[in-house]
Amino acid sequence: MNYPFWTVPHIGSGWVIGLIAIFHVMISHFAVGGGLYLPLAERKALREGRRDWLETLRGHSKFFLVLTGVFGAVSGVGIWFAIGLAHPEATSALIHNFVFGWAVEWVFFMVELSTAAVYYYTWDRIPERLHLTVGWVYAVASLFTLVIINGILTFMLTPGASWLAVAGTGQEASRFWPAFFNPTYWPSLFLRACVCISLAGIWALVTCSRIDADRQPELKTELVRWSAQWLVPSFVAMPFLLTWYLWCVPESQRALLSFGMSTIGPGVFTQVTRTVLIIIMTSATIVGVVYFFAWRAPRDFSLAHATAILALGLAATASGEYAREMLRKPYVIGHYMFSNGVRRSARDALNRDGYLTHSLWTRPNGDPQLARGEAMFRGECMACHTPDAYRGMKTLLAGRNREAIGNLLGMLHAYKPDSPYRAFMPPLVGTANEIDALGDYLATLAPAAKPVATQETGKTAVARR
Amino acid sequence: MKQAAQSVCAWVDERLGVSEWVEFARHKAVPLHRHSAWYYWGGVSLFFFLVQAVTGVLLLLYYRPGPDAYESVRQITYEIHFGWLIRSAHSWSGNLMLAAIFVHMFSVFFMHAYRNPREFGWWSGVILLLATMIFGFSGYLLPMNVLAYFATKVGLEIPHALPVIGPKIAELVRGGLEVNEFTVQRFFALHVVVLPALFVPLLGFHLWLVQRHGNAWPPAEEAKPAAARKTIPFFPNFLMKDLAMWLIALNVLALLASLFPWDLGDPADPLKPAPPGIHPEWYYMSSFQVLKLFGQWFPGLAGEAVGMVLFTLGLVLWFLVPLYDTTQLAGRRARNTSYFGLFALAVLVATTIWGYAGLR
Amino acid sequence: MNETTCHLDALAKGEGLFGRRAFVRVALGGVGLCYAAAIGYPVYRYLASPVEKAAALAAVTEVTLKDAEKLSPGSVLMFKFGPRPAMLIHHKDARWVALDAVCTHLGCTVQYQPERDVIHCACHGGEYDAYTGRNISGPPPRPLTAYRVKPTEGGIVVSRT
Repeated sequence: MNYPFWTVPHIGSGWVIGLIAIFHVMISHFAVGGGLYLPLAERKALREGRRDWLETLRGHSKFFLVLTGVFGAVSGVGIWFAIGLAHPEATSALIHNFVFGWAVEWVFFMVELSTAAVYYYTWDRIPERLHLTVGWVYAVASLFTLVIINGILTFMLTPGASWLAVAGTGQEASRFWPAFFNPTYWPSLFLRACVCISLAGIWALVTCSRIDADRQPELKTELVRWSAQWLVPSFVAMPFLLTWYLWCVPESQRALLSFGMSTIGPGVFTQVTRTVLIIIMTSATIVGVVYFFAWRAPRDFSLAHATAILALGLAATASGEYAREMLRKPYVIGHYMFSNGVRRSARDALNRDGYLTHSLWTRPNGDPQLARGEAMFRGECMACHTPDAYRGMKTLLAGRNREAIGNLLGMLHAYKPDSPYRAFMPPLVGTANEIDALGDYLATLAPAAKPVATQETGKTAVARR
Repeated sequence: MKQAAQSVCAWVDERLGVSEWVEFARHKAVPLHRHSAWYYWGGVSLFFFLVQAVTGVLLLLYYRPGPDAYESVRQITYEIHFGWLIRSAHSWSGNLMLAAIFVHMFSVFFMHAYRNPREFGWWSGVILLLATMIFGFSGYLLPMNVLAYFATKVGLEIPHALPVIGPKIAELVRGGLEVNEFTVQRFFALHVVVLPALFVPLLGFHLWLVQRHGNAWPPAEEAKPAAARKTIPFFPNFLMKDLAMWLIALNVLALLASLFPWDLGDPADPLKPAPPGIHPEWYYMSSFQVLKLFGQWFPGLAGEAVGMVLFTLGLVLWFLVPLYDTTQLAGRRARNTSYFGLFALAVLVATTIWGYAGLR
Repeated sequence: MNETTCHLDALAKGEGLFGRRAFVRVALGGVGLCYAAAIGYPVYRYLASPVEKAAALAAVTEVTLKDAEKLSPGSVLMFKFGPRPAMLIHHKDARWVALDAVCTHLGCTVQYQPERDVIHCACHGGEYDAYTGRNISGPPPRPLTAYRVKPTEGGIVVSRT
């Protein structure tokens, strides 16, 4: 509304964030988990006199430095660009609230980047104990970046009653701490910590697979098995943590798990539930595959095997992040801002004065009906839908005529307490005129839609030019 | 307890000789080298075939061929619990099976693994692939939805293009002048009785040959002295890895089947116009596109006949490769065969992409 | 290698009943059970789905509802038209209407609301006109199928139009 709309054809702007974020999650969680792995492995090597480990660890720390310092950092900045474009309204709200938190995170982030570089470049150049200490400093700094960003991420799902009480008054920053340590903070932190530890093991397996088993068979066996063990904590704790997490999610969001919508028939699970089941199944597969590939035959463990495990890890984290985003529906910031950037409190005003009148980047007057409808679609729908592809109107509206589309829009606008769409879609805001324009525009997207009145067809022809 | 179990094992072993198999499996070795990853794809194809068999039998419990076909699939998808999942798993694993077989076949080809003594393995494998494609073609019609109806109609143009006998064959396959309920009925018979009856023994033969001759060394590895080559025991090492691959395959299948359930579509209606962008399944796209191209280049039916003849010639050449690439080591003839393989792969991929691009 | 030497090995390495080997075995058993459940449950539910559901819809073209003429005005009778749920509405103005009771949106069973004189679907809030079955509000893409109703001596005869 206060910002231009960013249109991404076919996949929608959400997936731009999603693709960058999934990539970033794989690396940033490794940055935290690997921060524990390196000093712990180094300590074990020093204590037990395993000098041969150190050479491999050195190689691993180079890989680690390049991956986290370059790709991790770049994709992190990429997320900033993407959310700023796709969700300017929500990004602005988060910055207003957490500017201090982010400042602290960036301090830790700077420490993290510099110690990672120092750690790699000072192998064999400074005393061993001091080198290990650098590793520990890195571990703590990277852990704290997680501790902080986790507060902001969980805030978006559950801002907590205390913050919501002052939301929109301009006093939001006064409730920084309750908003930060919100209801899902702790389960999410432990869940993510487990993911970090698993990813540290998985990425370490990539390095270990490169050890030549003909030259150093014992080293390869030891390191592959030791790295494989890093998957055990999350395997044991994950079911409990996941239950705890879902327990802390408010009832309204948990209902999304059992809701019959967005499925292909009655009585089957929702997409969120299916995604959660995929996470569980993929995690079990990872354990099985690591057992068969790594634990049973550490010497034959090859880069191809490690890549397969990495790909499974990617599938599991991607499903996890996707499910987490889906769980937040219909909000982008729980009970405060809807996923299309409309503030919950602004609904009445927008219904009265019109959505487009409040949109600074559209010209509501003098435009033909369809252009207004398209502007409505861009503003209110395109955060989640596209005209023709991902959650496309073409598919979702197939077979509906203009009247049936109007019925559906009317229901979304009324937003009655018993409306099932309330669970995952924001209300449609705007004046009756604007909603009519949206309906006319949508009717041009639905394949079998035949405009009811000839008058409207005339308008269509004009608008298409 | 343990003693009882052991004596049961001994009793069974005495009569069936299980320990001999285990002993055989233990001595069997699988080559280990840079290209070992390609050895898994036959196993992956087998896994998807097993999924096909299990889910196929489950679908058989509720499916009714003939005029009721669409309605019964609708009931499976919407009314029977988890019917959508079983159906999706069947469709997806069918496609994945074909993809895995293609990977398997090309890897065997480029490793020249069809050479003496493995010629029969190659021949049975190519026939298994063709049978799987017919499985796919016949299975695709069974839901009798719009897509299936028109895709079958379009797909039957391929045999139709055969000179002289083509139209007659197409009519016999169709069981009429148009795709109708008799077509569903005979495709059903083909899909669940005739093809499995041929496929399973042939698959058994194929697997027996693999056990008999073991995995082939690629020529580059074979050139090395025997001491420089590495192997791992088939049992348990390779089997464990195979199991891991099966787990991954199962996971991929579960992901696809549950997140992208197969659409039911609208019931077939011959009176309605074909929806835009109708095309055969991806594994027929290449042959379909070749026919179309030749049809455009030559006047009348001649073009399609020429295309058909060329395609058949290529297939025969492909099938007979063990007879003309017989040298044991990497040489000029082996190189030429590899170029032929690359050419075939390029033509397949290019015409498939061309076919999909032409739909727009 | 037989079981006894396995145990001896484990004991020698100080990995007793709760050692690494036992843990790995239990963990893998757990994973295996997860898989068995994940595959077994859907298959069981699939097999256990009532087979009568699959009875042919096409076979039924007419249903006679005995004693249905006694239905008081402003009320509804749910019945099965073949395998599909259907509804017979006796309107306050004495008109008889029979409609398919499966929502055209995602297939939930709809209900007649006499006080508002509309047909309502509780799943996603779709609404239909109670006389014609026309979709008037919410997500349904198509109207409900209407059946022909003929009151006779022996009851109400409902048939396909």
